Amino acid sequence: MSQLTEAAQSGAPSRGLLARLLRELVLVFALILICVLVGLREPRFFDPTNLTQVILSATLVCIVAVGQALVIIARQIDLSVGAIVAMSAFVTAEWLAGNPTGSLAVVFLIGCSVGLVMGAGNALLVAAFRIPAIVATLGTLAIYRGAVLVYAGGRQISATALPKNYEGIARAYIAGVPLLVWLAIIVTVVIGLFARYTRVGRNLYALGSNPESARFLGISEARGVSFVFLLSGFLSGLVGVLWGARFGTVDAVIAPQLNLQSISAVVIGGVSIFGGSGSVYGAAIGAVIFAVIQNGVLLLGINQFWVQAVVGAAILATVFFYSTMARRSERVEMESRRRRTEPRAPGLPQAEVSK
Amino acid sequence: MSIARKILARWEVFLLIVLIVTFVVGVEVSKYFLTTSNITIALQGIAPMALLALPMTLIIITGEIDISVGSMVGLCASAMAVGLEAGLPIEAAIPVAIVVGVVAGAFNGLLIAYAVLPSLVVTIGTLALYRGIAQILLQERGVSRLPEWYQSIGFGTVPGTPIPWSSLIFIVCFIGFAIYLHRTYWGRALYAIGNNREAARFSGIDVKRTIFGLFVASGAMSAIAAIVLTAYLASARSDTGTGLELPVITAVVLGGVSIFGGSGTMSGVLMAVLVLAFVQNSLGLGGVTPEQQQIVTGAVLVVTLILFSGSGFIERARASLRARNAASAAKNTSQ
Repeated sequence: MSQLTEAAQSGAPSRGLLARLLRELVLVFALILICVLVGLREPRFFDPTNLTQVILSATLVCIVAVGQALVIIARQIDLSVGAIVAMSAFVTAEWLAGNPTGSLAVVFLIGCSVGLVMGAGNALLVAAFRIPAIVATLGTLAIYRGAVLVYAGGRQISATALPKNYEGIARAYIAGVPLLVWLAIIVTVVIGLFARYTRVGRNLYALGSNPESARFLGISEARGVSFVFLLSGFLSGLVGVLWGARFGTVDAVIAPQLNLQSISAVVIGGVSIFGGSGSVYGAAIGAVIFAVIQNGVLLLGINQFWVQAVVGAAILATVFFYSTMARRSERVEMESRRRRTEPRAPGLPQAEVSK
Repeated sequence: MSIARKILARWEVFLLIVLIVTFVVGVEVSKYFLTTSNITIALQGIAPMALLALPMTLIIITGEIDISVGSMVGLCASAMAVGLEAGLPIEAAIPVAIVVGVVAGAFNGLLIAYAVLPSLVVTIGTLALYRGIAQILLQERGVSRLPEWYQSIGFGTVPGTPIPWSSLIFIVCFIGFAIYLHRTYWGRALYAIGNNREAARFSGIDVKRTIFGLFVASGAMSAIAAIVLTAYLASARSDTGTGLELPVITAVVLGGVSIFGGSGTMSGVLMAVLVLAFVQNSLGLGGVTPEQQQIVTGAVLVVTLILFSGSGFIERARASLRARNAASAAKNTSQ
């Protein structure tokens, strides 16, 4: 088993760190470019308080997008993340309102468990019943969101009902950087390393790029698919806990755009929607680019109604860019393969070939 | 082939049984369920979604998807509203909406068919783009001074009958789409494209033009849905039709169309639309809140799909058990 996966790993040519992170470097470059463009028009953008706000608003989407990235890399999709965040946020906020002296560890335990259970529901439908992920999570999106709406019954839990130390999570700074940002960075890096350096992580890429040959290598599709949905649910549950801390007020209709936001961040981050390629770092940078665009539109005094149109145009532009790049590299690859396999090219001694 | 036909027949028969059960439960829940006025109300409420399900069926059969329909509805409604604000009569604003829908659909089609980009991502992008343009056009305004005759498209019935005008529009469109899919060469080609795109291309089907055409049709039908929905809501706003793509895809999948393309029928989708309409209606009559209805709708989708793949699940479990037994038997004999 381990030999097989090692073989699968060595199948990919080992490249230098720079070449491997080329896509991410291009993204960082694009991010810096956008920042500079916005900053030139409106120097207030580079104000430390503004930059902190931009980064903070990216953190929650970033954590969800990291989970979504692994789901999409494994050739699945999770449309239910927004509903899971809402359920986790409401359940934890309600528990806290009832137990103001409760330990924060318990809060995180509750939120992440809610996420895990809902992720397990998705995993069951997709892995055991073999329902295509896009349809299964479309169904659970309706069920989960409906469940929160019924459970909350129109109630709203506001900041005054929540203990101070809970809200403190969103206000805490470590070494001058908000705790939430540290958390997003840790989640991204840990999962990024996991995806690249562990067998389970590498298997997800194999499953995403070619499920058939992954099966021949002895990789269990059911296990990989279950794993990504459980992880996505877990991270959404975690974000639910943080959501209440950051925004104070929690009700059943929070995070309505999160499904699309996370998928958009993943797509902008260069993860192929067909699975098998891309990285969670790209998705994280994608989430930051989103936050910068939103902030930039507001700062430049452009009408807020433009935000969505700009985001849509950005998605289309990046997809176009990536597919052009992919096609070009494919053509180069085919060209070089043709050269290698056509020994009868003019100028080559005939005798050598016939031997 | 006969097995496939049997399963197909079973699926629509199954939906028919679900529909009958819905009616039985509906009658049980409320004495008003089987009144003509209630059925008229149920059909009026579902019309915009049903109209969008028609092109979506064709698109999903070819293995593509259009997530942007809800936003195209919002864009068409906003374009119509801007026309009305500029003093156009409604007779002139309706063609404006249709032109906008066709252009929006053509833009999707161009990117998907000719720039060969994945439809899921393109239409997620245009979902945001078209809703954004609708918001730029109309901002927070709403246009609600609509003539009486126009509003009757959403509310009214054909004089002397309980048939809503919107249902009549749907029936005409449904017949057109059903004939196209099941009785023409081009309709057969859609299945070929969904099953094996390369093979379809080699057998002389113009895959690109076909897919482009389907997305244009989706845009045009979004415009018609926008016209019906605006009449039904008696106002046009930039958020008209938000989230409409989810029930539309639910209806198509519930109707037995494979999300991977290559199979499905118009009659199945029609059944699914009716099931969804009357499940929601009977739940509403039973005092079930819209939130709870959402759970039921999601559960109907998930449960039917489990039933659909359930036999396969049991089959697989049995096969793996058999394989395990065989392996242990082989081990025993070798010892």
